[in-house]
Amino acid sequence: MPLLRAADIEKHYPGVRALAGVTFEVEAGEVHALIGENGAGKSTLIKIITGAVTPDAGTLSLDGELLVDHNPQTAKARGIAAIYQQPALFGTLTVAENLALGLEGAGLWRRVDWRERRRRAQELLDRVGARIDPDALAGSLSMPEQQLVEIARALGAKARVLILDEPTACLPEGEVERLFALLAELKAAGVGLIYISHRLDELAQLADRVTVLRDGQYVTTRAMSQVDKPELIRLMVGRELSGESNAPARPAGAPLLQLSGLGCAVNGVHDVDLTIRRGEILGLAGLVGSGRTELARILFGLTPADAGTMAWDGQPVRLETPAQAMAQGIAYVPEDRRRHGVVGPLSVTANTALTVLDRLAKGGLVDARREEDLAVDLGQRLDLRAASIHTTVGTLSGGNQQKVALARWLAAEPELFIVDEPTQGIDVGAKSEIHRILGDLAAAGKAVLVVSSDMPEVLAVSDRVAVMREGTVVGTLARGEATQERILALALGGAEVVG
Amino acid sequence: MKSADRRVLTVAGVLGVLLLGLAVAAPGFFQLGNLRDLIVDNSLVLLPALGMTAVILCHEIDLSVGSIFGVCCVVAGGLAQAGFPMPALLLLIPLLGAAFGALNAGLVVGLGVPSMIATLATMVGIRGALQWFTQGAWVNDLPAGFQWFGLGQAAGQALLVLVAAALWLALSWMFGQVAAGRALYAVGADADAARLVGIRPKAVVSGAFVSLGALAGLAALLSSARFTSIQPSAGTGMELQVIACVVVGGTSILGGRGGLTGTLLGVALLGVIATTLIFLHVNPAWEKAIQGAIILVAMLGARSHSVDRLPAERPVAGRVPGKVVRP
Amino acid sequence: MTEPTRLSTHQSTLRRWFPNHEWVLLILLAVEVALFSATGRNFLTVTNAFELVRSGCEVGLLALGMTLVIITGGIDLSVGSMMGMAAITLGWLNNVAGVPIVPAIAVALAMGALGGWMNGALIARLGVPPLIVTLGTYSLFRGLAEGLTKGIINYSSFSDAFKALGNGYWLGCVPRQLPLFLLVAVGVWLLLHRSVFGRQLYALGCSKEGALHAGVPVGRRVVTTYVLSGLLAALAAVVYAARLGQAKADAGTGFELMAITAVVLGGTSIDGGKGTILGTMLGLAAIVMLENGLRLAGQQAEASQVMIGVLLLVAILGHRFGTGGRAGAVASTSRDSCEEFEMKNYQVAILSVAMLLSALIVAGSNKKVAEQMSLLSAAPPVAATQRAGAPPPPPPAKKLTIALMPKNKGEPYFLSCKKGADEAVAALGGQVEFLWDGPANPDPSKQNEVIDAWITRGVDVIAASVENKEAISTVLKKARAKGIKVICWDADAVADARDFMVQQATPEGIGTALMDEAARVMGNKGTFAIVTASLTAANQNEWIEYIKKRLAAKYPDIKLATIEPSEGKRDVAMTRTSALLKANPDVKLVMGIAAPAVPGAAEAVVQSGRKDVKVIGLSLPSLCREFIHKGVVDCIVLWNTVDLGYLTVHAARALAQGDIKAGSTTMEAGRLGKIEIAGDQVLLGKPFVFNKDNVDQFDF
Repeated sequence: MPLLRAADIEKHYPGVRALAGVTFEVEAGEVHALIGENGAGKSTLIKIITGAVTPDAGTLSLDGELLVDHNPQTAKARGIAAIYQQPALFGTLTVAENLALGLEGAGLWRRVDWRERRRRAQELLDRVGARIDPDALAGSLSMPEQQLVEIARALGAKARVLILDEPTACLPEGEVERLFALLAELKAAGVGLIYISHRLDELAQLADRVTVLRDGQYVTTRAMSQVDKPELIRLMVGRELSGESNAPARPAGAPLLQLSGLGCAVNGVHDVDLTIRRGEILGLAGLVGSGRTELARILFGLTPADAGTMAWDGQPVRLETPAQAMAQGIAYVPEDRRRHGVVGPLSVTANTALTVLDRLAKGGLVDARREEDLAVDLGQRLDLRAASIHTTVGTLSGGNQQKVALARWLAAEPELFIVDEPTQGIDVGAKSEIHRILGDLAAAGKAVLVVSSDMPEVLAVSDRVAVMREGTVVGTLARGEATQERILALALGGAEVVG
Repeated sequence: MKSADRRVLTVAGVLGVLLLGLAVAAPGFFQLGNLRDLIVDNSLVLLPALGMTAVILCHEIDLSVGSIFGVCCVVAGGLAQAGFPMPALLLLIPLLGAAFGALNAGLVVGLGVPSMIATLATMVGIRGALQWFTQGAWVNDLPAGFQWFGLGQAAGQALLVLVAAALWLALSWMFGQVAAGRALYAVGADADAARLVGIRPKAVVSGAFVSLGALAGLAALLSSARFTSIQPSAGTGMELQVIACVVVGGTSILGGRGGLTGTLLGVALLGVIATTLIFLHVNPAWEKAIQGAIILVAMLGARSHSVDRLPAERPVAGRVPGKVVRP
Repeated sequence: MTEPTRLSTHQSTLRRWFPNHEWVLLILLAVEVALFSATGRNFLTVTNAFELVRSGCEVGLLALGMTLVIITGGIDLSVGSMMGMAAITLGWLNNVAGVPIVPAIAVALAMGALGGWMNGALIARLGVPPLIVTLGTYSLFRGLAEGLTKGIINYSSFSDAFKALGNGYWLGCVPRQLPLFLLVAVGVWLLLHRSVFGRQLYALGCSKEGALHAGVPVGRRVVTTYVLSGLLAALAAVVYAARLGQAKADAGTGFELMAITAVVLGGTSIDGGKGTILGTMLGLAAIVMLENGLRLAGQQAEASQVMIGVLLLVAILGHRFGTGGRAGAVASTSRDSCEEFEMKNYQVAILSVAMLLSALIVAGSNKKVAEQMSLLSAAPPVAATQRAGAPPPPPPAKKLTIALMPKNKGEPYFLSCKKGADEAVAALGGQVEFLWDGPANPDPSKQNEVIDAWITRGVDVIAASVENKEAISTVLKKARAKGIKVICWDADAVADARDFMVQQATPEGIGTALMDEAARVMGNKGTFAIVTASLTAANQNEWIEYIKKRLAAKYPDIKLATIEPSEGKRDVAMTRTSALLKANPDVKLVMGIAAPAVPGAAEAVVQSGRKDVKVIGLSLPSLCREFIHKGVVDCIVLWNTVDLGYLTVHAARALAQGDIKAGSTTMEAGRLGKIEIAGDQVLLGKPFVFNKDNVDQFDF
């Protein structure tokens, strides 16, 4: 008998069928991976299991017992816990209270025992091996630390079913290892783990079984040992993909931006020497926290440099604000798409025009017709799928949102394109399209800087790979010499780099 | 918590300096009678401020508190005239306030109207209705037992202060030590996350609005009981005064942070300004300017060591404050 | 790979014209227009439409700036206070420093921009939430204005050319404000809806981070927005000063809430990123029209406050209902479950309809309102039926419409006047339709609006108790030009703005009487203190002037310790009196010169246990009776206010029916008998001193 079973789940939203007769189960002591492209119905299924959403039809059962009156509270009481991509902690409350809120009863008129709270928090934090002060405000912790707190919370809840939604998306490599060790412990303790990830390589390492969803429908469940990556991709997209074929090598152009001794005390970047050339894609690899995003933010003027120099086409420049960077010809597609990359409540048109308003305007007034033409034109170029150019961007899928984020900068026709985690949380189909766009840009003589934690991606698209560690660039590898092992060795440090 | 403590210390420091200065410049300020007057008067501001703290902790706001106060004053007078005994009023008037609080809660929680707008509407509407029906007429000829609940001045004042002090103590304890109080903080920090840990944000927010209504009603009754007649325009402008006290006391307008110690100090700080000016023989025309300056200084003082501004690179858990990152 | 598809550019016409569901407001407006055309007199006329512009102009200017601010996700509570600040800047420069009006206006505008910059800088550069910053500057700006002028100074010597900006006409009927307002509105519309700045404003209103990452200089844009808001507030102050012919620290009090209400009613989201100028203008129109329409329908303006509250909710809910029509798009991203959303729509629909209906019922059925009012208010029923009532079918005999305006409807003083007026109206039987309306707090600009509405409505006689001479005189002259008879009572306007003045006592008489009584109680020596209404209250300041004159002239051994404001509130008067008695132990007498100030001060004296302190002042017998009997209040100085109201109605009737005209020396006034007329002054008699011997003879 499975630990948890969701049978024949149906869920409709107006105009959308999110789930159609999906059955999914997880055994005790098993890691069951759940994969599918964005929009396949994974999130809805998870929400149904955690009680956040009520299904239109179908049943949930735990230990063979039918779950009625299922809502987030009863789900929690029944030992179903979930950890989401973005940690959902209370920023203004202490770690101890965050842990307690998940664990204590729901009664409003209980007395709170702070000493007990602190003691238990310490105990749980010790168990996940986190050195975190229980009295620290959760909002002051780093993302990996916050995730550890969440896992501690699930541990404390004595979760029987633990759902992890892209838990490694924001974790540095070292932390990933520790997470996997923790998960193995949980698994050994008989917890049923549901694991959602776009990183198929991780699954091979971790999962026992894998279930594939596509367009809200159940596709198949296989033992992980019986499928390989291409097979999984085929199952997810329902078609063969050209794969991660390397783009043709391009001749490198003249240096566009030269950094020497660049640093910024605020975000820990120091002594960066790097040259970005026209007509090439430069990959920027490194562990999370090694300063990759921070470097990108310096280049876009979000956190101005306070040491070193930058030269643009050989001329020294200073980039103090994003507006200056933009005027210089720099584009930045940030990591956090929803919060930074696009303006969700605005239309496709308003988003694509945002970076080029000055050019669309005559005498300070924006020409609405040209604005619309631009949106139509870019939408076509990027194969954007939206009902109309007046559609609100927030309602689009992740991949299409990312296309809008790219489109707004394509419109600006910058010389240097910085893209931070361009394909994070994006389905495989959209991913290869975005790689194609980046390649086209480089072919057109632009410089492209790709920051990514996805090592195969870095290898697939880059002409050169720069590796960062502890706030500075520790090495640059040409296309021929770059391998996953060598990048990792540089990123981790200590290991000898073979030339 | 740590940062909230520091904010509280900032306000306490400003208040301390002010009192020290007064001790030198106008020692008469500290005569017993004046202190008693200050405590009685500010107890009446403290009551709604307690409720307002709860509402602001939930990241909501209530502009209608002055109008609720006004209605409760007039109804208290009307009921007293109609022969209701004072103990009954002590029950009924806070209930009436709570009913108005429930109206606000219904609009905010039930219909999803932003609290700023919902309570702007009830503020204007309730005050308009009150003026319409009373035509500004005072409620006179109250029964003899109305003033001071028939207890006499000293006992009446003591009762008033005791009620306020007891409620402050009880709510302070509750905000820190009871799950319901902590739920205010959790909902204010992140309502969605709160739901995931089994807190019902709608119930918590409703509770805050209803408590504020009830406290405004109680304050109205106690305030009216100081007099022998009732002025229907009572409570106009009260909402901004109360909000100012709460935010000067360090409770974050963005929710989830602050507390009642700060609110007590905020009430005390803004509550002594007018009297201070009288004792220093300064022209009262400057009162509002000084009040404004104190609000701004308290906010700026608290800013320099607040956690609102984490380094932008670091992701912030929960609700991200709507701040502007310096370009 | 599929063929790239061309994105649709289709957008429904409704959406294109009303991107923010402004049609909801159009419907509301249509309902209002239909309603008031039916119930209000002369509502649907060109003149009235133009008058609406005049009364809405200042709040409208604030609302334009406020729309921008709220779209950035902020709020600006300080605009009303900024009006006060800008007004005194203008007044001081022009009246005192002798700077010509144009540069003076420029400096006032610069002052507004500076204040706005201060708000913006604190918000954008230091990251303090806008509500807090502007709550602080709301107090600060007003406080500076009051502090610098001590609240008292009233700059009123402006040139006629300047005043024409507020009261003049183009082509005979277009108010001078209209072109200015249209110009600004179009400018702000272009700025928000057509310019680069506007596009960026929407983006940063939705997401500051998102805008920043698109290269929008967020901080600079936010600062600019608050600067514009401050600038428009200063412009509103200029128009205000021109309309009233005076500049004082209390200019624009409470205007910030009206502006916010208009903006929010117009559908601008308080969370930012959403809203239109069209919406704001419609919201403003809905509010202004509501007040004006109720007035023309002879209704109390308080009703408009209630209905503004209801309208706000209806509009917001209707707005959501309108959005709900596209639930599909919303639900796919909404974190709420769908069921909940649909449920809400349903509830919202029912609630909106219910609220709209109730609003219609309240506004439409004047009779109902009258009945309710007579049931729920203490007013005598006969008066209620008289004052309410839409114009009935033309009566056989010509019915006189007499409109009386107090300075402040809520004041007990004026309520007692109204008592007498009601009595007189009742005595005149069915000959008279009686209107009683005025500001809910002493507000000269509101007085002008009320009179404008009465002119439009076409009353026969206007009788006004004037808050500010200069401010009201132009509009009274306009009334006379249209053949309406004008009387002043209680407080006078300039002589050629009215036919007669019903004179109860001059400020000099009051001040002298008060000071003499005080001296008597104090035995011609010692220290006393004054508790006034607010420091900016015009009347009280005039009385204080004469009190001080009398003091200087006759009583060298008496000292005035302090003058404390009470904001027209009894409990504030009590608090201040308690403190001032302790801070000034030698004070032996407190003089309250506002109706609530005397009982407040008396209560403070009782509670302090000081037997040696006495209270006197200007108040009503009914409010002070028990204190007079207790001996705390020695006496109060007043005239018979009931008689004042009574006489005013009689004088109005007599004037309208030609019984008195210039040169008359007496008139018949019902139970008051023959009343003397000296020149253009109808004389009620001398101020009266109420003490424990006679106070029980009066029931007002």
